[in-house]
Amino acid sequence: MSADHRPATVEALAALVRARAGAPASASGARRGLRIAGAATWMDAGHPVREAEHLSLGAFRGIEAYTPADLTISVGAATTLAELDAATAAHGQWCPLLPWGDDHGTVGATIATATTGPFAERLGRPRQLVLGVECVDGTGRIVRAGGRVVKNVAGFDLTRAVTGAWGTLAVITRLHLRLRARPAVDVTLAVACPATEAATSRLAAFTRGPLAPLGVVAVEAADAAAIGAPGATHLVRLGGNAALVREARTAVGSLGAVTELEAAAWSTIRARLAPAPRLTGWRWDALASRLRDRFDPARILNPGLLGDPT
Amino acid sequence: MTPLGPELRRIVGDAHVLERASQLLAYRSDALPGLRRAPALAVFPGARDELIAVVRALAAHGAPFVARGAGTGLSGGALADGVTLLGLHRLKRILALDPEARTATVEPGVVNALLTRAAAPHGLHYAPDPSSQAACTIGGNVAENAGGPHCLKYGVTLDHVLRATVVLPDGEVVILDRGDEAPGYDLLGAFIGSEGCFGVVADVTVRLTPDPERVITLLADFTTVRAAADATSRIIAAGILPAALELMDRPTIEAVESSIYAAGYPRDAAAVLLVEVDGAAAGLDDDAAAVEALCRAAGARGVRTATDPAERARLWQGRKKAFGAMGRVAPHLVVQDAVVPRTRLAELLDTIAAIGARHRVRICNVFHAGDGNLHPNIPYDAHDADEAARVHAAMGEVMAACIAAGGTITGEHGVGLDKLPYMERLFTADTLDAMCALRDVFDPARRANPGKVVPVHSCREWHAAPAARGLP
Repeated sequence: MSADHRPATVEALAALVRARAGAPASASGARRGLRIAGAATWMDAGHPVREAEHLSLGAFRGIEAYTPADLTISVGAATTLAELDAATAAHGQWCPLLPWGDDHGTVGATIATATTGPFAERLGRPRQLVLGVECVDGTGRIVRAGGRVVKNVAGFDLTRAVTGAWGTLAVITRLHLRLRARPAVDVTLAVACPATEAATSRLAAFTRGPLAPLGVVAVEAADAAAIGAPGATHLVRLGGNAALVREARTAVGSLGAVTELEAAAWSTIRARLAPAPRLTGWRWDALASRLRDRFDPARILNPGLLGDPT
Repeated sequence: MTPLGPELRRIVGDAHVLERASQLLAYRSDALPGLRRAPALAVFPGARDELIAVVRALAAHGAPFVARGAGTGLSGGALADGVTLLGLHRLKRILALDPEARTATVEPGVVNALLTRAAAPHGLHYAPDPSSQAACTIGGNVAENAGGPHCLKYGVTLDHVLRATVVLPDGEVVILDRGDEAPGYDLLGAFIGSEGCFGVVADVTVRLTPDPERVITLLADFTTVRAAADATSRIIAAGILPAALELMDRPTIEAVESSIYAAGYPRDAAAVLLVEVDGAAAGLDDDAAAVEALCRAAGARGVRTATDPAERARLWQGRKKAFGAMGRVAPHLVVQDAVVPRTRLAELLDTIAAIGARHRVRICNVFHAGDGNLHPNIPYDAHDADEAARVHAAMGEVMAACIAAGGTITGEHGVGLDKLPYMERLFTADTLDAMCALRDVFDPARRANPGKVVPVHSCREWHAAPAARGLP
C-alpha cells in the first residue's frame, strides 16, 4: 500500500498535522484526515476511515535505546513485535506484550489499540508495560510523556490516555517499554482436560492458585492440529525456576493427558485465535467526547475510525 | 444565593464544617515540612450523598477546593491555599468485599492497612503498601498513584484499581472502569495519579491479591553503598523478581538503631539491602539462595535470612519506621522522591552524597532500590532559615542530577506544590500544555486542587473551541 505521507522526523509529522489542524475545513470536502499506519495490516477494521490520506510511520522503526540491566527499552512505533522480541531475546529478556495477532504487527499499534494476549493477566497489559511515549496529538503538539524509568508519577498521565485510543488522540512515534527476564524454565503443554464440571473447576483452581501458569487458552480441534496437539485441548504455559515449574507440571498432569509442545506453538495460536478488532460500540460519553475534542478538535487523526460522538 | 458556609452546614451538619482560623490550624500542612497554607473553610461529608451535594454546592459557588484523605502526602498536594478543604476521612466504609472475585469496593477514606486487615481472613491483601499505610487512605492512594516497597513485584495503585465512581468538579457523577477491557478511552488510567485535580473519588473497586504461600526476607550488609547498589543491579539483571528490594544507608541505619524501632541492623555497615522473595513454596528457597549468592558476589559481608513472621516483621519494622526514627535526629524531615534507570543508582548515590556534603546537610537514603526509586531524606530544622535554604538548594541539585541521568522527579509522592519548579525542566512546553488539556477534560473550570502539578503559566488555552467551528 502506498503512503501519501511518510514523515522522516517527529517535527515533520507535527508540521503536517498542524497545517491540517489550522486549516479551515474545506467546503469541497478536501481530504485532510490522516489514517495512521504501522504495518498497515489493520487498515480496514470495521469502521471506514473518512476522507483520509495514508500516514506511514515507517521512518520510526528500530531499537533506539536498550540497556539490558535497566530492563527497559526504547523503540520506534513501527518496530515490529518480531524485531522487539529478537532484540530482547539476545539478553534473555522480553517485553511480554505477546498480543493476539502475528508478530509482523508493530509495537506502536499494539499500544495504540491496547491489544492484550494470553499472558496479559500474569505478565502485564499494554497499559502496564508502556512506560512512556513520544507522540504528536491532533493539534500538532509534540508530546513526550512518561519516561525510561519504571516508576513515574510526574504530571498527568498522558501515556495512559493515548494507550488504547486507536490513534484518535495522538500519533505514537516512539515508546519506552518495561522488559522482564524470560522465565528460567519455560514449558508449553497441551492438556486434554475432560469437558466435565469437575475437571473445569480443577483447572480454574489451578489457574488461581500459587502454581498459576503464565497463561491458559482453550484451543479447538482445528487449531490444535496446527500446533501438533491431539484434539481439542488447553494450551498451558508454565514459567519460573526449575523447582517451581517441576511442581506446576505435576499439578498439570492431574488435570488431563499432557503433550509437551515447543513455545513456538504460542505464535501460531496467537495468530490463529486473534479476534477481529472490536471497533463497534465505542463509549462516547461526555468525557470521551471532550477528550477527543481537546486532543484532536479538527478530527485529523483516524477520522471516523471509532464512530463519532453523538 | 446562600453563602457557601451555611449551605455546606445544611448539607453535612454544623459539626462537620470548620470556618474559624483556630479550628483550621491542623489543616494548614500535610506531611511535607516547611510549607503551610491555610484553607478558608473545611468540610467533611459523612456519606456519599453528602459528598455529591458538597461538590455540587462548591460548583454552584464557583468555589475552588482541595480534596484531602489523611494528609500523609509528601508533596504538599493536599494544601488548600485560601480555598475550601474537602476532607474525606469520614467516608470510611468498606462497601463490599468479594473473596471469590478477589475484589473490594471501598469509600475513599478507608485506611490502606484496614483494607488489608479486612481481607486477611480470606487469605487476601491489598498489595500497594506505602510506608504510611497505617494512616493513608485509598482515596489518597488513587489520587497519588501510590506505590510502596512491594510494588516492585505487585505493581502500583494503577495496577490494582478496577473501577472508580468519581464526582467530577462540576458535580456530575461518572463511573470509570478499566479502559483496556471495554471499548473506550482509558479514562480510569488517566484519572489515577491526577493528584485531586480531576475530581473526587466516591468509591473505588480494587483488586485483592492472594497472600503468598511462603515469604523469605533477607538482610545483606555491605561495607560500601556502591556494592549494595551493585548487588541490586545484579539481582534485577539475573531475572529474579523479588517482592521488595530496599536499600538503607548508614545514616538511616544509625537513626533506626538508635530508636525504639531498632531492628538489629549492623551499625557498622555502609548500607543494608532488605530483599524479600515470595510466592509458591516450590522453588522459593532457590530464589533466596540465588539472591544471597548475588549479594555475596557483589561484596556483602553477611546475609541474614528470616522465614518466621516475627523475625521478618522485625527486619521490616526498621524499614517501615525509618522516617519516624529520623524524628530523633531533627524536628523536620524532607522525604524526597525521584527515580533513575536502575544501572545509574550507584553513580547517583555518589552524586547525592557529594551534594549533601557541599551544602552541609545530612542525607539519609532509604529507598526502593529494585525500582530505581530514590528517597534521599534530609532531617533538618525548618525554623532555621539558613539550614532550610541549604536543604532547598541541595534538593534542587538532586532533582537536576536525576533528570540528567534520564530519570524523573517523582516515582510515587506526586508533584503537588513541592515539585512544580522542576516540571519545566523535565517536560517540554508542548507536553505541559497537553497535560493541561487532559485536566480540562475532567475539570475545565480548573477548580479542583488549583495550582498543583502543572505550573499555571504552562497552560495555553485552546481558543478555537470545536463547538465554535461547527465540528461534531
